[in-house]
Amino acid sequence: MTAVIELQNITKFYGAFCALNDVSCSIPAGVTGLLGPNGAGKSTLIKILLGLVRVSSGRAFVLGCELPEGKTRIRSRVGYMPEDDCYFAGLSGVEAVRYLARLSGIPSREALRRAHEILDFCDAGQERYRDVETYSTGMRQKVKFAAAMVHDPDLLILDEPTAGLDPEERDRMLTRIGALAREAGKSILISTHILPDVQATCDSVAFMAKGRIRMVESLAVLSKPAEPAVHVRLLGASERFQELAVSDGYQVESESSGTLAIRPADERLADRVWQWARDAGVAVKSLVPSRNSLEQVFLECVREGERASL
Amino acid sequence: MPVFDVGYRPWSGERESAWRRVGVIATTGIRLAWKNQWLRRMLFVAWLPAIYFGIAFFAYERALEEGAGETLGRAIIMRMPEGRLTVDQVFQGGTAERRPVWAFMLMTLFRYPQGLLMVMLVGLIAPPLISRDLRTRSHLLYFSRPLGIAEYVLGKATVVGTYLFLISTLPAVCLYVLGVLLSPSLSVVGDTWDLPLRVCAASVIVVIPTTAIALALSSLTEETRYASFGWFAIWVVGWVAHSSLMIMDAERLGRFAMDIPSRWTFVSLYHTLGDLQSSIFGFQVEARRLQIATAILTGLTFVSLVVVFRRMWVLHRR
Repeated sequence: MTAVIELQNITKFYGAFCALNDVSCSIPAGVTGLLGPNGAGKSTLIKILLGLVRVSSGRAFVLGCELPEGKTRIRSRVGYMPEDDCYFAGLSGVEAVRYLARLSGIPSREALRRAHEILDFCDAGQERYRDVETYSTGMRQKVKFAAAMVHDPDLLILDEPTAGLDPEERDRMLTRIGALAREAGKSILISTHILPDVQATCDSVAFMAKGRIRMVESLAVLSKPAEPAVHVRLLGASERFQELAVSDGYQVESESSGTLAIRPADERLADRVWQWARDAGVAVKSLVPSRNSLEQVFLECVREGERASL
Repeated sequence: MPVFDVGYRPWSGERESAWRRVGVIATTGIRLAWKNQWLRRMLFVAWLPAIYFGIAFFAYERALEEGAGETLGRAIIMRMPEGRLTVDQVFQGGTAERRPVWAFMLMTLFRYPQGLLMVMLVGLIAPPLISRDLRTRSHLLYFSRPLGIAEYVLGKATVVGTYLFLISTLPAVCLYVLGVLLSPSLSVVGDTWDLPLRVCAASVIVVIPTTAIALALSSLTEETRYASFGWFAIWVVGWVAHSSLMIMDAERLGRFAMDIPSRWTFVSLYHTLGDLQSSIFGFQVEARRLQIATAILTGLTFVSLVVVFRRMWVLHRR
């Protein structure tokens, strides 16, 4: 699969603060989720991709054009839906979308036709004729989405596209994103915290934490159900506990975080954990069933960010 | 829901050049400003002084060519606040004085009614131009398009420039044409052909610094009212300071303030612009005052543009 975004050793400093630290990755065509905790560097990365922020070092390519030289060309071929509540005061929905089409270089009459087409695609209805300032959050999201794709970009960058939407609208938004990728062959980068959104729409996922891209992996691999296991954290020496578990036919693996992963997680395992703890003279601090691996990777990223901020 | 849901349709077509986008920002800004009822009223009012001066031109030309209408002309010209020509000079100079008289009347139109309207009009349309974009965060939408800061600023400046053209240049040029048409003799064209060009030059002198200052104020805040306040404060404070200093000078010399040349034009933006406009219309202005006025306006324009570009640069990266 061809890469739509190629980053080579990107570093970005804001004064002394390092927002991106030696980021290298290749984001394939298709729908990619950009996941990471707050402060991971997602917004900075998006701004770099749009040529709004200059990198301190490294090289970035978007749709084959290198930044910052090709930023005008990139912005003609990229649609951006910001997370912030931004709008043009005094314009109606259709006027705002048309205005952005004109700013992307679409001729006047075409821009109006195109704005209506896209608003139809977004189910904007007659509300498109109302002043944008009177819109609900859902309608503003629709207009922002329509504005991002009015110039028929090859790559769409969506920052929290389902934020503030009710479940029905959220579902429709995800359907639209899916349709754009499948039927129109658009590449889409979705920055979000909502894992079910990623699972519903994405082909691959890029995880960010503390200014680094930790992993870019296909969703098919990440969505594989993790082998059922129970993660146990003990207070006290765990050697005797491990011996008892192994003698009962279970596999025990020490993890980097200091927990023990015990497999297979059958229905009797929880009772047995308490029994082994009693026999070994240790206390059980936590006992957690293993998560879906996407969620697990995300949580690890979050924890990493939290640890780094301490 | 559309009657026929055709899904997503791709678009292919020729894109317009980048500079057309300046026009797009300008026309949208002009249209948005036009929604303001006060602006429409002001544009209507802006043409009334031109009609008044049109009558003055007619009376003057009739007095000059046919010896009639002098009483009416005197009555009108006496009420003009510009003291560079006396009423007797106007009517006794004959055709040799035609050009300065026309220039005098056009400059009076420029400096007084249109000058006041210019301050009010810019105070009405310019403050929201950038500050509203900051408040609604629409700069994120602008700069994610193939649009540079220069194009954005130029588009916004064109909005102010267009309205200033409508209230100052256009009425003055129309007044000139009206004056020519109402003149009994076409020889007036030969005497005054340069005046429309001087009108355009005087307009440029007004438009560039005032637009730059207004946009700088607008870019400094998300609150339009603060930008409006700043704009009016610049003019009012300058005017009051100039008048106070002139009164103090007059008291010291024991004369009327109107009778002594001003040493303080540089404290007032209005009077600084007036010096340059007088010079453009061919009236004698002390060289030092002219240099100071040019330096002040150039400096203010430069600083204002630096402020606007710097602010947009920072926001662009936020």
